[in-house]
Amino acid sequence: MDETTLQVYSVLFVAITVVLVYTARFFQTRPGRRRKQRQLDGFERIPTWTTRSIESNRPLHLSFGGADVGGEGTPAALAQAEFFHQVIQGAKASDATPIVTMSAPATLPLGQATLRRAWAKGGTAARAQWIPPDLAFAGALTASMDIDEPEAHILAGRFGPELALMLDGANRRGQPSLAVSDRLDGQAVAYALADHVLIGEELYAAPGYDSEDGRGHGDTAVLDVWRALIIAGASVLLLLEFARRVALLNWTLVLAAAAILIVLGLFFSRRR
Amino acid sequence: MRRVGGGMSAFVAFAVGVATILSLLLGDNPALFGGQAGSEELARRLALPGDVLLRLVVIVVALSIVIGVANLLFVHVGRAARGAFTSAVVLASFAFTIYWYVSRRGDTSLLEAVQVPIESALAALLFLSLTLGGARILQKRADIWGLLFVVVAVIVLLGSIPLAELAPVKALSDWLLAIPVSAGARAILLGIALGAVVAGVRALLGQDRAFRG
Amino acid sequence: MSEEFNWLEYVEHEESAPEPERRGRLSRLLSRRPCLPGRPRLRLPRLRRRFRLAGLAFWRRRPKDSAPEQESATSLLDQRAERPLEDLDERLQFLRERSISPSQPSADAQQALYEVDDVLVTPEIAQKPGGVISAGALSKAQRQQVELLQDIVGGATQAEEPAGRRFLPSQALFSLSAAPRMIAAAALLALVSLPFASSDFAVGALPPSEFPEERPGFAAVYEALDGLTGSDFALVALEYGPAAAGELDSLADLVLRHVFARGVKPLIVSSNPIAIAHARNIIRAINRSVAGSGISLLPGYDYHILRFLPGGALGIRELNENFADVVKVSAKGISTGLQLDSLDRVKSIVLISDSAETVRNWAEQVVAASDNAPLLAFTSYSAAPIAQVYADASAEILGLVFGYRDAYTYGEELQASFGGVPPAPANNQSSADGTRDSQANQPQEADAMGERPQATAEPAPTETPLPSATPPPTATPAPTSTALPTATDLPTATATLETIVIVEVRSPQQVRIRRGPTTADDILRLAQTGDTFEVIGANGDGSWYQIALANGLEGWIAAFLVDEGRTTRAAFEAGRASASARSPTERVVLERGFLLSLGKNGPRFYQADAPILSDIHEFVLMRDRSQEAPRLEAMTLGTLAAVLLIVVGNVLSAFGALRGRADPNDRRGSFDD
Repeated sequence: MDETTLQVYSVLFVAITVVLVYTARFFQTRPGRRRKQRQLDGFERIPTWTTRSIESNRPLHLSFGGADVGGEGTPAALAQAEFFHQVIQGAKASDATPIVTMSAPATLPLGQATLRRAWAKGGTAARAQWIPPDLAFAGALTASMDIDEPEAHILAGRFGPELALMLDGANRRGQPSLAVSDRLDGQAVAYALADHVLIGEELYAAPGYDSEDGRGHGDTAVLDVWRALIIAGASVLLLLEFARRVALLNWTLVLAAAAILIVLGLFFSRRR
Repeated sequence: MRRVGGGMSAFVAFAVGVATILSLLLGDNPALFGGQAGSEELARRLALPGDVLLRLVVIVVALSIVIGVANLLFVHVGRAARGAFTSAVVLASFAFTIYWYVSRRGDTSLLEAVQVPIESALAALLFLSLTLGGARILQKRADIWGLLFVVVAVIVLLGSIPLAELAPVKALSDWLLAIPVSAGARAILLGIALGAVVAGVRALLGQDRAFRG
Repeated sequence: MSEEFNWLEYVEHEESAPEPERRGRLSRLLSRRPCLPGRPRLRLPRLRRRFRLAGLAFWRRRPKDSAPEQESATSLLDQRAERPLEDLDERLQFLRERSISPSQPSADAQQALYEVDDVLVTPEIAQKPGGVISAGALSKAQRQQVELLQDIVGGATQAEEPAGRRFLPSQALFSLSAAPRMIAAAALLALVSLPFASSDFAVGALPPSEFPEERPGFAAVYEALDGLTGSDFALVALEYGPAAAGELDSLADLVLRHVFARGVKPLIVSSNPIAIAHARNIIRAINRSVAGSGISLLPGYDYHILRFLPGGALGIRELNENFADVVKVSAKGISTGLQLDSLDRVKSIVLISDSAETVRNWAEQVVAASDNAPLLAFTSYSAAPIAQVYADASAEILGLVFGYRDAYTYGEELQASFGGVPPAPANNQSSADGTRDSQANQPQEADAMGERPQATAEPAPTETPLPSATPPPTATPAPTSTALPTATDLPTATATLETIVIVEVRSPQQVRIRRGPTTADDILRLAQTGDTFEVIGANGDGSWYQIALANGLEGWIAAFLVDEGRTTRAAFEAGRASASARSPTERVVLERGFLLSLGKNGPRFYQADAPILSDIHEFVLMRDRSQEAPRLEAMTLGTLAAVLLIVVGNVLSAFGALRGRADPNDRRGSFDD
């Protein structure tokens, strides 16, 4: 595919997404028409943690990791700011101001703004903290687990393997954790060591779990539509390839394979 | 006022975002305009706003490190005043490093003598954390997915060991990495890319909370 | 062990307290410590004492700015202490009474406390399997609140916890709690250290000495670097932080040695500021390793460390968009003098990175824009699986080399290719340089140098290495060993034999030494004919030398006003100390500094027809390889041990889960939901 074709497709993709987002919002912001969100274990844990934070007077720890505003991690940082906003709002009855950390200095103003907007109590600037990246970040956070005694850790953004140090530290101190990373190595570590994980695009689905915001519902609906389209497209290509491999278009075989794929898809989608 | 301010920032975000994305997509590609006379000049002009805006971003990002360091000092001065020993150490080492660098005219030997060994040691700790964490996966996730995770991890680890006896495992490990793991990784990356596009569109349309006030 | 752990019950069992029948858990808690019946008042003096002892006299630390009407909970409690017991709510009184004398609850008490016990059911707090510190452990604030509550209702507290003790005994049968965890960690560390202690523990095969056939990209990367010649540029991107230095430094070291050995001057860039500083140290280490042979790499001369690229991916994009601007400024903020209009001038782009995303960024943002330079990717082992996917799919990435094992193979190939030929000592009689003589007729005023055109039109034929007639300089030991003129980073052990580049002023008039490499910079001092200075750098086109002045300062001098040569540091010091030894021929020993003597007046890499510099074997041969094999063996042992630990740990966990002892759903269910 040459560059021009690629650019045309990119423009089309973005344009269709814009149209979809507006269409979804049109429906989702109407009362009674809101779709039910898929159950995600990670998001369901949040109210419990915010309640416990209020009861125990211990802060929640929210981290952007290396998600950098102005760089590749911009969408992740913006999505997490929205997510953190909701978490902080839930915990704002607590006296312990949540701690927001990040290793990209450009994300610091976003973190401070999120904290200020959601917390609405004075003196929060120092609770948004920049820490140098990578292992220094993990080391500093592990140390702060004893100093600040956070109630729970929500590590959502961009992390590498250094996530293991933080999650291990949290585990040993009995502090529950939710982790998700837009880097694959960090994601693997999160899956192995975190108490709760989100995977892939779930990182960006947080706005949809804000019950007051129908627009967020619309965005997650668009995500779901695109995902379904991609899965369907990939499945069709797979089937055609399969048919080509068996050298003849044996429709019975293709239909049987399609049926198996659909059953598997249903099975897995129900399990999540 | 806040609403007005939010509206303004949403509009600025939208205008800048659209200008940049159009400039990046349409600029510097005369073929899009038929490649006739003048199309080159048009493409070059279209590329200009994107370039200028992105350079501005680079400048802002470069300056943001100053904000980061100021925040670090601010946080640790506060903690040190409340008696936190580690924060006092942070401040003292900050001052010492600055003094060292300035007085020895850009000598970076502290980096080699202190930071590299410490971070290497932390990387070694990472090995321990991962191994000990890996040994407890089934405690955390006693289901088929946890089991799958452990089995694949063990196979890939075994495959990386250079022992002749493990050659069949290496073949299996190579296959796993080449087909299922690679497919899974692409799926996750696709999901992340989709999410990034939707989050980007959300910001572009000024629907992000940062612009809503 | 199999039922949920209840820390209240746990404490009770420890103290063997009799368990009253039909009691709620709170009343059991309150009755745990025997109290005298009918005690009339709350024991607040005791409460105070305890807090004071624990260093928690918090009521004294009341914020000064708090208004008098905003009383704290503690002050309310203090006031309450003076009030009679009868002021307490009736049910609290009964509760207290019952807790003091649990055996005879009156009918009134039973009536009043009807349903209270149901309300006061203590939440079940389960022990976290596997956690060293239970999630059920209370925070400091919670502990204080519990103690206050117990004092109010006159109940007993549980035994005082020693300060800092928040541990509960691990209940999960197969958990890796503190002790086994430490043992496992110690065993792992010991095992990994074994190969360094003795060669008896060599496990596993060393990596192959030749490029594996199934990975053509590996060999292609080597060939691409090996095909570079002295007139080429290689862009070397070091995109990793100190955390990955342990693994990637070995690859960076090999790449740079290979590049230097080919006589190529690398342009080192990074979007990571620490990597820029680290790059200097890597080259310093290379310098140290070859110091014995008299070679010394000079910044701005043999290599360029370019300015840091801020903004991550955007910074990398900027390198492509504004390449000519980026290469003009070095990491120290001075001009490099490089005039490269586009990336197409670069022959190879080498990326050494610890993340697959960076590989993709470089391939998309930089390499795609270059017409002739492919990306040679070097990554850490952890980034390799994903980077390999990019490498396979992308036409821009020539090949991928990753991890220690590849570094070993690469080093073996390098050794084989450079090791077969003995280093040929070749002397460069730069004093016989005809070009320089012709330039002696140029205007003497250094100020004209700023605009001096590039020396592209002026190939320097005399720079070809001449057959050696002079013995190696290392044979002339220094009679004196004076202190070094500048606080350079060179090791003192090799200081006397170390070869340095010097310049001697040959202009008959006074020459200006300036603060920077342009005529617009301030004049620091003047130099006379015959003065010699140690060269510590040069600008990119070689038109200015950066020199060390005797007072520790650094200055710049125009190249056409001076002669360049080489000598040992000791001889240089001796010459400087002794005014009688002013003649450069007596103390300057010119030797095979061919690679490093860039040319008196012209940048070698602009001279398309300049002689090809290559085969500087020392860079390859003088490489410390003593730790290579033990390191690989340690990795093998470590991986084996890790596999063992993971398998055993998980089998035990699975076994426990099957027997219902470590059901993860139980773990938090009781206090999370």
